Amino acid sequence: MSALRRVVRAFPSLLRVGLAEMVAYRAEVIVWILTSTLPLVMLAVWDRVAQDGAVQGFGQGDFARYFAVALVVRQLTGTWVVWELNQQIRTGSLSAALLKPTHPLAWFAAESLATMPIRAVVLIPLIAVIALWRPEMGVGFEPANAPAFVLSVLLAFGVHFLVQTIFGCLAFWLDQSLGLFNVWFAVWALFSGYIAPIALMPDGLRAAVEWLPFRALLGIPVEIGAGLATGPAVWSGLLVQLSWLASCAVLAAFVWRRGVLRYGAVGA
Amino acid sequence: MSGRAFRAILAQWRAAWMAALQYRSNFLADTLVTALWVGWTIVPLWFVFHRAPERLAGWSYDESLLVTGFFMMLQGVLEALIEPNLRGLVEHVRHGTLDFVLLKPVDSQVLVSFGRVVPAKAMLSVGGLVVVLVGIARLPVAPDLGALLVAPVLLMAGLAALYGLWLLVVSTSFWFVRVDNLSYLLTSILDAGRWPMGLYRPALRAILTFVVPVGIMTTWPALALRGLMRPTDVAVSLTIAATMLVTSRLVWRRAVASYTSASS
Repeated sequence: MSALRRVVRAFPSLLRVGLAEMVAYRAEVIVWILTSTLPLVMLAVWDRVAQDGAVQGFGQGDFARYFAVALVVRQLTGTWVVWELNQQIRTGSLSAALLKPTHPLAWFAAESLATMPIRAVVLIPLIAVIALWRPEMGVGFEPANAPAFVLSVLLAFGVHFLVQTIFGCLAFWLDQSLGLFNVWFAVWALFSGYIAPIALMPDGLRAAVEWLPFRALLGIPVEIGAGLATGPAVWSGLLVQLSWLASCAVLAAFVWRRGVLRYGAVGA
Repeated sequence: MSGRAFRAILAQWRAAWMAALQYRSNFLADTLVTALWVGWTIVPLWFVFHRAPERLAGWSYDESLLVTGFFMMLQGVLEALIEPNLRGLVEHVRHGTLDFVLLKPVDSQVLVSFGRVVPAKAMLSVGGLVVVLVGIARLPVAPDLGALLVAPVLLMAGLAALYGLWLLVVSTSFWFVRVDNLSYLLTSILDAGRWPMGLYRPALRAILTFVVPVGIMTTWPALALRGLMRPTDVAVSLTIAATMLVTSRLVWRRAVASYTSASS
């Protein structure tokens, strides 16, 4: 328990250091942030599809709202743990982090959260442009969903973070697990609601997607945020996310413990 | 490219192929993943056309397949050849090892641009070619001989423009040192090229034609196969490619001239 207390006490400082680091490398960070602008391309494509009439109830305004929220969720849940872990395990620089009294993962989490202010700075003009281009996107937001949306984004961040931790820990055994993570990422991009709202996927596929974890990472928060899910659907969505969070936490704790035991500390 | 440079590059490619084939199971796995990737690249197209009307902005599913195929060929060349080389250049500049390249009796731009190759990634281009051929077979009107000749020319012009763009970006590493993420950004913009340009608004279309000319690399060859390319468009495409190549060559020369070598 004292370990947890240490993390809680150190966290504000970790956040401050993380933020300072992000500000120091601001240009690089902004370029990184801008690499995940696929929702904008998909918005352009779907907008053209909806030009001659709504697609399954999705009009141009709905697509603008959906992909604007998708852009926000994608950014606010972004983290680079898998790259950090891969690099630190391979080069042995994880050794220093392991000696510190706070858990290395706490440091990674603080670093990810510290990027949020910069992400917001990049997001605001992008969203403003979409809103100016398709003002009708404002219709359909559910103000009552706001608290659930915040919670859902936090849960999605947690699942993203843990999934990346799991893949990153595989580097304890494989030295390099980014290839595997890229495969995961490709599957995620197709089935999370990133390139098409899940409601528009071919019917048979949609049933399968409901049971896959990818929805918990993007689709659910976006549907809540864009007002596509209301009432009980919001609650069941949060519940799905929570269960994926719990399973990923168990798995992440397991691979981390076993992995650190195997850790070769290259260069030590 | 002089004969000597050509032979030097050929020797390096042969070595890369042999090194890749030495680890047979790894090479097979990489090739398999690439083959899966080909299927994967088509899925978004399928998602969209599943819900779209028969024709979208003048493109049917089969015709769009051509664009996606050309996009894959482009991606193959990018990942097998352009990216690894220019990433290597950034490393050279950072570590000061570019000295060894500059001292060799072969044009340094050629060595730096084509010396490395990742054979497994090249399979993506082969997959792209297959997709294009399937797309051609499914066209309602078979392309005539002229179209079949013009399309590869347009593809080559597109590749040249892409290479010029990359060299331009990477040349800035002589001044800014860390530009690896800039090439990631470019890759993500390039992704817009997998869709027919007709789907985009005029402003975006202009950007994708003249600034990041991915549109001319993927959509224009497909248009040629559909018999919709005018001679003036071909001239525009060649002009853009030539401009990119010349500009990047000039910037490269300036960049090398200002290289200070990190090691000495």
